[in-house]
Amino acid sequence: MLTDRRGEFEATLTRTAAERGQEAGAAIARASLLRDAIHRFMRNRAAVVAAFAFVVMVGFVIFTPILSSQDPYAVDFSKSFLRPSWDHPFGTDEFGRDLFVRTALGGRVSIAIGFAATFAIMGVGIIYGAVSGFAGGWIDNAMMRFLDALYGLPYLPFAILTLAIFGRVNFWTMVVALTVASWFTTARVMRGQIITLKENDYVRAAHALGARWYRVLFRHLLPNTLGVILIFVFLELPGVVLGEAFLSFLGLGIDPPDASWGTLAQDGYTAYQAHPYIIIIPSLCISWLIISAFFVADGLRDALDPRTRQKF
Amino acid sequence: MALLEVRDLHTYFRTRAGEVKAVDGVSFDVEVGEMLGIVGESGCGKSVTVLSLMGLVQPPGRVVQGSAFFQGRDLVKLKGREMEDIRGHEIGMIFQDPMTSLNPTLTIGTQITETLRRHLDMNKKEARKRAIELLDEVHIPNAAKRLDDYPHRYSGGMRQRVMIAIALACNPKLLIADEPTTALDVTVQAGVLDLFHELRTQHEMGVIIITHDMGVVAETANDIVVMYAGQIVEHATALDLFDRPEHPYTEALLSALPQVEGEGIREGRLLSIPGRPPDLIDPPPACRFAPRCLYAGQDDCAVVPPELREIRPDHWVRSAHPASERAGEPVGVT
Amino acid sequence: MSEARTDGAKPTTGDALLTVRDLKKYFPVKEGFLIDRTVDHVRAVDDVSFEVRAGETLGLVGESGSGKTTTGFCVLQLLKPTAGSVQFDGRELTTMSRRDLREIRREMQIVFQDPYASLNPRMTVGDIVAEPLVIHGVGNRRSRRRSAEQLLEVVGFNPDFINRYPHEFSGGQRQRIGIARALALNPRLIVCDEPVSALDVSIQAQILNLLKDLQNEFGLAYLFIAHDLAVVRTMSDRIAVMNTGKIVEYGPAEDVYAHPKDPYSQALLAAVPIPDPRRMRERRAERRKHKDVLAEPV
Repeated sequence: MLTDRRGEFEATLTRTAAERGQEAGAAIARASLLRDAIHRFMRNRAAVVAAFAFVVMVGFVIFTPILSSQDPYAVDFSKSFLRPSWDHPFGTDEFGRDLFVRTALGGRVSIAIGFAATFAIMGVGIIYGAVSGFAGGWIDNAMMRFLDALYGLPYLPFAILTLAIFGRVNFWTMVVALTVASWFTTARVMRGQIITLKENDYVRAAHALGARWYRVLFRHLLPNTLGVILIFVFLELPGVVLGEAFLSFLGLGIDPPDASWGTLAQDGYTAYQAHPYIIIIPSLCISWLIISAFFVADGLRDALDPRTRQKF
Repeated sequence: MALLEVRDLHTYFRTRAGEVKAVDGVSFDVEVGEMLGIVGESGCGKSVTVLSLMGLVQPPGRVVQGSAFFQGRDLVKLKGREMEDIRGHEIGMIFQDPMTSLNPTLTIGTQITETLRRHLDMNKKEARKRAIELLDEVHIPNAAKRLDDYPHRYSGGMRQRVMIAIALACNPKLLIADEPTTALDVTVQAGVLDLFHELRTQHEMGVIIITHDMGVVAETANDIVVMYAGQIVEHATALDLFDRPEHPYTEALLSALPQVEGEGIREGRLLSIPGRPPDLIDPPPACRFAPRCLYAGQDDCAVVPPELREIRPDHWVRSAHPASERAGEPVGVT
Repeated sequence: MSEARTDGAKPTTGDALLTVRDLKKYFPVKEGFLIDRTVDHVRAVDDVSFEVRAGETLGLVGESGSGKTTTGFCVLQLLKPTAGSVQFDGRELTTMSRRDLREIRREMQIVFQDPYASLNPRMTVGDIVAEPLVIHGVGNRRSRRRSAEQLLEVVGFNPDFINRYPHEFSGGQRQRIGIARALALNPRLIVCDEPVSALDVSIQAQILNLLKDLQNEFGLAYLFIAHDLAVVRTMSDRIAVMNTGKIVEYGPAEDVYAHPKDPYSQALLAAVPIPDPRRMRERRAERRKHKDVLAEPV
């Protein structure tokens, strides 16, 4: 029955389409939301400087070991504890290894762990939050109560416990430990986003059309959370990098001779009084990354804020 | 000398895409005891006009030209502190959304007495007494008790009445109401409009009411200004405007209104105005309504900007083809 | 009811297409410390009955909080009714299986109030309008594209706009897109939930005319929900007036407007501002008669 009517309908549609004028008029100027957002970001000087600083840091950790002639693993006690100089811009450590390159290598590890953990956090957080927010009702309730309970557990012991379970500390165990301890906020924010977005009429429209749940979730809800996700990446990254540094400083860092900023700082800890630069430099690097990431996140938030509709 | 004399007001907003000419040459007078209604659709500049008068236009907008003489002083030229003294004291203002215009963390009483003590230097007791009088005046029952309630305990219509009370607190000479009933239900709106009528006759002040609703303006204003694309296109007494509208836009607007009473309403079609209001960054060079006008000819309409002229005593229109000068059939939409 | 209302699409019989009986929607008010207890209910829809006939418009008018929008959502089963029956074409919707309900959704659609929230900002206009066809597997990609273009044309758009995004259009234009989407599956009933409330008068007229034209061309029935009495009058054959969840007046439009029987409807009609200054005094006097009903809750 529906198919017969379809034929009739399409005939009417064709006929009417030909007869109707274009009363709706032209589209308003071809505005690109992306270009507007980029422009808003560019106007935020702090964010632009921070983005530049972030890129500089990433560039530093990537290119320095490639371009430098110093061997970061060469042990040469005659050169230990040299102050920063032209040959060794960051000086050398107790084993005579060039710290400029070691800091860069350490940075690779720290940043890589940072990104890996951030993406893992995003993954877990998004799935958990989206399921909870989308399902609603008792499932949402249960999942949130569970999350509340997890919140109660202190961050550091949680991470340490996870590492202890693994037995060793390498790149992946560190990533897992940091993820396990930090995914809660992302989950909560994602849930909030989904719940807010669910109220939009276009979601109701999809239901009214008969869309199944997966279509509503993947076509209508999740794509509209991308902005928030991007901002959160830059908010979580600093936390994770700091977390790794902290754990390393406590002695739970990845095993030598690989280094991360945290382990470098820990190395410098014992020699602090005589050779402060060994601990100051990795600490500064961590701060540099954290601060630039935060300002970028702030800039992104302003840029992606949908409050742009101006009516006079 | 009128209470308020606005001359040639121009307010522009600098945006990335260009300069938006939100108000482009607006002039009108408001006399004591009179209610001027400014009507128009969204984007016509009616709100920006009064914001300009009150010094409330934020950057990137600014008043680029024009004057607004109120009691001998040009409001446009006044600086921050001087304008603050006038705002709330000699000029009262009421905004559209009663839900957000009141501070939810202060009691109603505090918000009223605040303005009394700021401008009239009253002490606590005097201010409180006056506040109760004001609430009575706007017909809030149990005023004395309700003074200590927080806004969330008031309904939308009552909050709007409180806004009116605050605006009237210092006996202003001029009251400006920007879409005062738009956010209210129609039954509540009726009450608030009645209140306006009552207050106008009791207080000696001039009132400007801004609205997009032709019904509201017909029932409240005695003088009406119709705005389109930042300009005044018609200015007449309420009776004359509705009896014999001159500007094609006014006519079209009135014909586009759905009617509550009458015959053949269900079967008929509403007269709609094709197209959309123009872009205010680059408005049509001559008549701004020409692209949508039924009567725009190939002649001057697209070349010569029409001036606001007095077609009858007390009836001004900005059009080359006002109703009383039209000979025969419409030429057709360009 | 008049018969030859359509343009050859199909004859309307004036039979009841949608029958709503004793519809209730109560929202629980919960309180509690660790465990939520239901202490009270908000009776958004409280025993509502009406019918919409094929090809005609039933106007559902009321102020904010009257329950009209909730009624519309319950009819389409977007909200599950607390009690009562909703029958479409004789089939009971409230107890229908999910699969059957999905099928029948093709016949009843909705146009929403807020043009800025009813279109997914990340989908092109073409995708939005074609989505109903995708969901129900109608046609193939090429035929759907063609349908999308035609649907856009039918609501007054240049079909080239098929690849644009919603943010490139004004409120009135977006409403047209919403209407095109509602039309895609050839429904027999469209619930219009305040479709012109957010629009300027001149654009409002365009959209109302469009809805009337579409009704004639495609033989649509409308459940037209609005708070503006004049707009409802323009569109409706019969009217139901709602107040705090109940229908207080129900009948042919001319009758209800000319001779309202219920005090609330009388007060409502008296309250509407008429664009005619000459009648101001008379209107004011009329309103004084209904002062008690018009008085606000304290």
